Amino acid sequence: MASSVISPSATSLQFDGKARAAQRNPISLRLYKVLGTNFDDDATREALQTLSELYATSSSSLKGKEPLRNVEDDDVEEEWVKPNGVVAEEFFTETMLGETAARARKNLRRDMERKLAEGSHQFLKAFGEVDQKLEELQRHVAAMHASCDEAETQLKLTNEASAMVLERAGSLSEQRQEVENKKSIVTLFLTRFTLNEEEVEAMTSRDIPVGQRFFRAMDKTERIRTDCRVLMAGEDGPTQAGLDIMASTSSHLEQGYEKAFRWCSYEFRQMGRDMQVEVGETMREAIRRLRKRPELLNEALTALSQARQATLMSSFLTALTRGGPSGLPRPIELHAHDPMRYVGDMLAWVHQAIAAEREFLESLFGLQADGRMVGSVRTFHEKSEEEDWIRELMDLAVGKLCVPLKVRVQQTIRSQESSIISYKIANLLQFYMITMRRTIGETAVLSTTLNEMTEVAYKVFYDAIETQGRALLRATLDLDDPSLAPPLAILDHAQILREIMNVYESSLLGDEGEAEQTAGFQRILDVTVDPAIEFCTSNSEEKKRMRPRWDREIYVLNCLSYLQSVLEPFPFTAQKLQTLQDVVEEKVVHLTEEHYKNIMVDAGIHLIAETCASHDESEPMSRIPATLPAQLQTALRNFSLWLSGLEVVQSPRLSQLTAQRLHIKIHQAALERMARSYQLICEQVKKPENKQSSKNLSPLIPLRRRYTEGTTSSQGRSGSLYSNFKPHRPLPQIEKRWPTFLGIGVVVLTGWAAFLTYVTNETKVTSSVVKQILRTIKADSQLLETLGLAIRPQPEWWLNGYPIIHGQINQLQGNIDVSFRIKGSLGSGTVYFTSVRKAKGIPYEILRFRVIHDDGRVVEVQTAPDLHSE
Amino acid sequence: MPTDDYEAEATELLETYDFLMKYIVIGEAGSGKSCLLHHFTHNSFKDHSQHTIGVEFSSRTVKLGEKRIKLQLWDTAGQERFRSVTRSYYRGAAGALLVYDITKFVILLRIFLGGLPDARALASPHLVCVLVGNKADKDDEREVEWAEASRWAAENDVHFLEASSLTGDNVEAPFLLAARSILLSIESGALDPEKAGSGVSYGDRALRRVNSSSRLSFGSLSQNRRKGTIKLKAKGWIPGTNRCC
Repeated sequence: MASSVISPSATSLQFDGKARAAQRNPISLRLYKVLGTNFDDDATREALQTLSELYATSSSSLKGKEPLRNVEDDDVEEEWVKPNGVVAEEFFTETMLGETAARARKNLRRDMERKLAEGSHQFLKAFGEVDQKLEELQRHVAAMHASCDEAETQLKLTNEASAMVLERAGSLSEQRQEVENKKSIVTLFLTRFTLNEEEVEAMTSRDIPVGQRFFRAMDKTERIRTDCRVLMAGEDGPTQAGLDIMASTSSHLEQGYEKAFRWCSYEFRQMGRDMQVEVGETMREAIRRLRKRPELLNEALTALSQARQATLMSSFLTALTRGGPSGLPRPIELHAHDPMRYVGDMLAWVHQAIAAEREFLESLFGLQADGRMVGSVRTFHEKSEEEDWIRELMDLAVGKLCVPLKVRVQQTIRSQESSIISYKIANLLQFYMITMRRTIGETAVLSTTLNEMTEVAYKVFYDAIETQGRALLRATLDLDDPSLAPPLAILDHAQILREIMNVYESSLLGDEGEAEQTAGFQRILDVTVDPAIEFCTSNSEEKKRMRPRWDREIYVLNCLSYLQSVLEPFPFTAQKLQTLQDVVEEKVVHLTEEHYKNIMVDAGIHLIAETCASHDESEPMSRIPATLPAQLQTALRNFSLWLSGLEVVQSPRLSQLTAQRLHIKIHQAALERMARSYQLICEQVKKPENKQSSKNLSPLIPLRRRYTEGTTSSQGRSGSLYSNFKPHRPLPQIEKRWPTFLGIGVVVLTGWAAFLTYVTNETKVTSSVVKQILRTIKADSQLLETLGLAIRPQPEWWLNGYPIIHGQINQLQGNIDVSFRIKGSLGSGTVYFTSVRKAKGIPYEILRFRVIHDDGRVVEVQTAPDLHSE
Repeated sequence: MPTDDYEAEATELLETYDFLMKYIVIGEAGSGKSCLLHHFTHNSFKDHSQHTIGVEFSSRTVKLGEKRIKLQLWDTAGQERFRSVTRSYYRGAAGALLVYDITKFVILLRIFLGGLPDARALASPHLVCVLVGNKADKDDEREVEWAEASRWAAENDVHFLEASSLTGDNVEAPFLLAARSILLSIESGALDPEKAGSGVSYGDRALRRVNSSSRLSFGSLSQNRRKGTIKLKAKGWIPGTNRCC
């Protein structure tokens, strides 16, 4: 407790000098402490009081309490100081205070010392124990030390050992890292170069449908193989892994292709059942892939083509024999009696099937449609693989149709009797042949079949017309028929020819050249026209022999010119026309000669002309019997008479020629020759050595004029030949009679026309149709408003107050189309009425029934007139 | 993963079609059949068009409501000399477009006297005919009034509209109109695409399986029909409505 009170900070300044010396001295420290003790506090004072009282009572009770109490303060001080032995003087001064105090002090001192000794003793004892404990502790520490050393050694040993382990662990972890890396690389490699379960399954299992997943697996396999190949190429040689990968992927890939193939084949077989099919994306993709395995694709496509063949075939047969649903449209074969329709229908069906097939195949191979029309030319320039495939498949699919088609078409062709129908069929076949060649190529089976069929059809046709030609040649003329017109056989023949030419003309596409057109028809013309010419010329000889009066030349010319007229409208017959013209020319020359002789005989100057021509100047002409002056004069008079006759203008014989042109030509040529002969006669007669008197010539002068006039009137241009003939006196004016004839003719014709118009109009006006129309119009309320009351046909002054009806009424043919003017109290207008009956037995249908007013308003008459009442 | 694949496959079906229909285009020479078709398939006017020789073919896929329809179009020659060839192509047609020139009254007359009876006689009884007045752009040379042709069409039970292959007005409308009629008659059961020779057939085979089990799929069609009509009207598919009455 005391030590806690006295702190180094409480050191007083008074003892500063000494304190330095005795700083470490415990006694001095104690002293300072005692000295520093403050006695002023109550607790200390009380303790001292208690002490003093204790000791005082115990020693004596002599002294009073109060002095004692006063002194006691000092005593306590002294008592405290005494044991220290430092302040001896103070002790002495105090002794004087009394013995009690001394005793008290002594007692206190004794107690104190005793206590101190006891305390020291206890202290010593305690320290002894402590010493013992310490020794024991030291032992323990030593032991511990030893243990520690040992532990340290052990630790060191362990440390050394663990270092190796660590090193090992480090290397292990490195290895592990390495292995991890490798593993990830291997995994990457594997994912890149091998197929996972799912993919393998997608590619090989039958349970998984062909679809995106399958294609992805295929894609991956392909990629692996490509990568692998690249990989292997980079090394010195193929690695084992590469080989393995290639092996496994190749087996998978093959399985994949196999699967795609199987699927395609199956789908194709399914597809075959429908006529119109469309191709899904999956199918297109599958085909695209299978193209890498041509042999598989080939096989699949074979299946497809078989299926398509069967389908097309059965559809074709259905269309032929069964028609559409519930028989409509009707089966094609139902129209077998109409060969054009039958053949046309079949070919059109095939054409349509081809178009559908082509679309199907294009979508199958994923080709973009080129937007081309089927009719137009397909270019086969791009020889792409797809095109080849498509063409082959198309050929196969359609080729199968050829057999039934060919059989039917040939049967139809052969059963035709009419050459026109044969020709039409041949043309139709040719048209389709060209179309098909453009669509599916020239080498396709169908094209060749069509080609064959066309050839057959043409052959049949040529056979038919050749037979016809031969039949024509065998035909004989009716001997008792005096007519010079072409006989019936020729007319028939020409009619057929005309029809054929019409067909040919309509079959031209318009882009052929003239030469091409001519060449295309040359053979037909040869086959048909030549026998006809032959017939005209040879058969007539027979008849001529039997009936000498029959005019063969005219007949032949008539026939030939008829043939010409038949051929003329068609441009492609030009060549034949030319040959025909040559024949005609020849005949014309012949006839001209004959005609010349005839007219010379008729005119009576042929003898003179002959004599003049053969006159050899040996003797004067007047001496020759034929040209005696008397003879000459008679002959010339006859000639003059002949010239004044009509025969100069028109020959009765030649007028039997149907071609007026030929008539004029021949007649004129003959007259020309006659004039030349006459000129010769004149010259001969005028010659002095012939001793003819000039008066013999007097009748000749008008003859020249007549002749010239005759030829001019008939032809109008040949007078120039005789312009060098100078008339000796002015010619008498011959009265022109033709204006009179013309006038009469015009009057008669006009009268006739007027009469006809009047009569037909009258018929129309009184017809029930017009009456009905009028009745309807009168009843129409709308017209009542616009035209007013009393609607009637407008009378025409030039028809004596009758209205005029334009248009025609042909109720037998079911055709009415009339218009006429009507008039009401308010205005006038024109009625237009058109109505037709499309077939017999069905009601008329009104196409137009309206009234157009003069001011332009149009009123449609709604109510229909009753046309069936009559 | 696999489900994605199948969805992907489903989107690819856009290329396919639900129905395939065969049409024939008929009419007199020079009434613009080939031009109309050309505009329909190529979306452009065909200049300097030559006479068609025989028959030509083209195809196009159109969308009608939910249905995709592939049209096989047979363009016939109008010239008389090809009549014997073209007559054979009526067989198995589901629709016929009777094209006439509005500037020539005679052509319309010939259609009603020749073309239409021919078509009815030769084609299947369910043939849907659409009368198309072509060259609607030549309004000032018009000889055939809209109302008149329309009345005739109604009397003969054919659809009618006017189009112009020069401007492209209403070029698609006749084809769609016919397609719609055909679809309706399929819906009503009058026409069976399963049978050969009807001119119509199903496209996708999977669709057929669905269809044969239920007719529900047509619900969407009927729904869209109204829509389609409105669209057509907006395009003015009956020019002249405002003019005639």
